[in-house]
Amino acid sequence: MRSLTVLYDARCGLCSNARRWLEGQPQIVPLELLPAGSEEARRRYPTLAETEPEELVVVSDEGDLYRGSPAWIVCLWALRDYREWSFRFARPALLPLARGIVEWISTRRHRLSRAFGLMSDQEIALAVSAGRSCDDGGCAGEETR
Amino acid sequence: MTPNTYPVWSYLVYVAISVGLTVWVARTLHRNGRIFLVDAFHGNEPLADSVNHLLVVGFYLINVGYVTLALKFSQMPVDMQTAIELLSTKIGLVLLVLGAMHFMNMIVFSRLRRRALREIAPPPVPPQARIPVRA
Repeated sequence: MRSLTVLYDARCGLCSNARRWLEGQPQIVPLELLPAGSEEARRRYPTLAETEPEELVVVSDEGDLYRGSPAWIVCLWALRDYREWSFRFARPALLPLARGIVEWISTRRHRLSRAFGLMSDQEIALAVSAGRSCDDGGCAGEETR
Repeated sequence: MTPNTYPVWSYLVYVAISVGLTVWVARTLHRNGRIFLVDAFHGNEPLADSVNHLLVVGFYLINVGYVTLALKFSQMPVDMQTAIELLSTKIGLVLLVLGAMHFMNMIVFSRLRRRALREIAPPPVPPQARIPVRA
């Protein structure tokens, strides 16, 4: 396996923050992050049935597909500082817990994003294209200075 | 009346046996731990030898340190029987310390090796499906 493509939900603030975090981590296996249902994602994986999956999807360069908590474990596995954790979460004793946490967060991701005021990539793109500066400071670039 | 020479002889025998045991365990570790370390450092033999040597130096320091600190007998042997009893207690303690240190070293070896194996290990979960990918 030489690379992994991570399909995340660009409309969700929590997921977009997770994407930024993943991209900032040192990687053993390079991660490429694509918004789920985007043009590029559909072009690359024409058989991926739903265009907008309800959970995180990771596909390797060889076509191995992971969904939900295994997808998260594979993401951790790709990161230098968290590979140990991926093996820990994959143990039979912890796997159900990992699945529970991931499902709990996944189904509430939009609500959680609103509660914590996390901006999604789509919202940021909209705000930037509309020429407004974002109020959380995350994308308030030069124009406010 | 001749002075009691049992304490001095006991001390000498204690030091000789303890240091001898330490050397034996350290050499065993040095010889048999090397292969673990070479594997843990992905075949980098100079690095493995260096770490192996440093581990053995630490092992010697702690064990010889314990042996010398624990030299003093709480009561003095007055005949052959008490000398053997005291020696046996002391050497038993040294053996337990050596055993504990030995297992600590083995834990270090196996940790290093496990970490090395994980760096090249496949993902810990199997893929749920295989799909065609368009470049």
